[in-house]
Amino acid sequence: MAVCSTTTLSIGGSVFSGQLRHWEPNESKLFQKPRSRFRWLCLNDLHLLRFRTKTLNFNPRGSLLPSLYAYGKEADDAFLSKVNEDTDEMFDDLMKKYGEVVFRKNERKSPSAELDDDTESLSFAVEMAKVASDVKAADIRVLFVKPLVYWTRFFIIATAFSRPQIDAIGSRIRDLAEKKYGKVPSGDAKPNSWTLLDFGDVVVHIFLPQQRAFYNLEEFYGNATLIELPSETQPPFHT
Amino acid sequence: MIQPQTHLNVADNSRARELMCIREAVPNTPLERSEVITAVIISTRKELKRDNGMIIRYDDNAAVVIDQEGNPKGTQIFGAIARELRQLNFTKIVSLAPEVL
Repeated sequence: MAVCSTTTLSIGGSVFSGQLRHWEPNESKLFQKPRSRFRWLCLNDLHLLRFRTKTLNFNPRGSLLPSLYAYGKEADDAFLSKVNEDTDEMFDDLMKKYGEVVFRKNERKSPSAELDDDTESLSFAVEMAKVASDVKAADIRVLFVKPLVYWTRFFIIATAFSRPQIDAIGSRIRDLAEKKYGKVPSGDAKPNSWTLLDFGDVVVHIFLPQQRAFYNLEEFYGNATLIELPSETQPPFHT
Repeated sequence: MIQPQTHLNVADNSRARELMCIREAVPNTPLERSEVITAVIISTRKELKRDNGMIIRYDDNAAVVIDQEGNPKGTQIFGAIARELRQLNFTKIVSLAPEVL
């Protein structure tokens, strides 16, 4: 079932510019390694995205195999009909033919502008962490996750020891963000054993001690760089 | 299209193996029976369309088990997740996902 859009395929509002890249996502984000291969393909006017996930180690029963198909304006049905191993060979042939071309989004900001955004988010994150430490939250970590995930920049992880404390941290962070930065978070309104506040490029996780040990987000994002916090409650750095 | 009686795979490491949908939950309604659990559907065989023309279609229907408070019951999620879950306030599931599309 081909979908023919009247414009060429756009991702996030920007147009592909005839380029191709074989991209292996950062596999070391997890300690157990999911092998996944992500291929973005864009050839002239035919835009095709294919995502294939191989079976993960800890799920021998079956795997989730998302298939991602996006068709551009000159999509050819015959071209896409045999969508199994033939397409892999086809992709390999095309790669050999066209060589290593890199996908570039037209709307990507220049590195300096991105860096400015990063520093802005960083200052926001550090302020939130300071607020959390004022309310005596324990073990506050700020992780820079931008190289690992694309949907956010910083994670703040904190432990609170009681629900009223979680409530206090949450409301203080919310108030400060709204007053000073004008940002309203989405996420949990009622205090929860894992309270999450989503400020777009900064995500705040507030755990009770058992949940923190249970979900172990630091291990999951073990490859993120830890940001040093300029406060006395900075936890001892352990590997 | 997930409807009552649909069987769903479980995409996390909570000890459930398969679920059958009994009712679509309206947000914030309490559930009566205790052996019934809540789950969030994360992949469907029916395509998900985005405004930019991208279409996402999975090979199976899967869900992630969550508890009454909305916290996921397992610690790992398998497979890629669509980013629409974040807008629906399931950022916890997104933060546990290995890959977000």
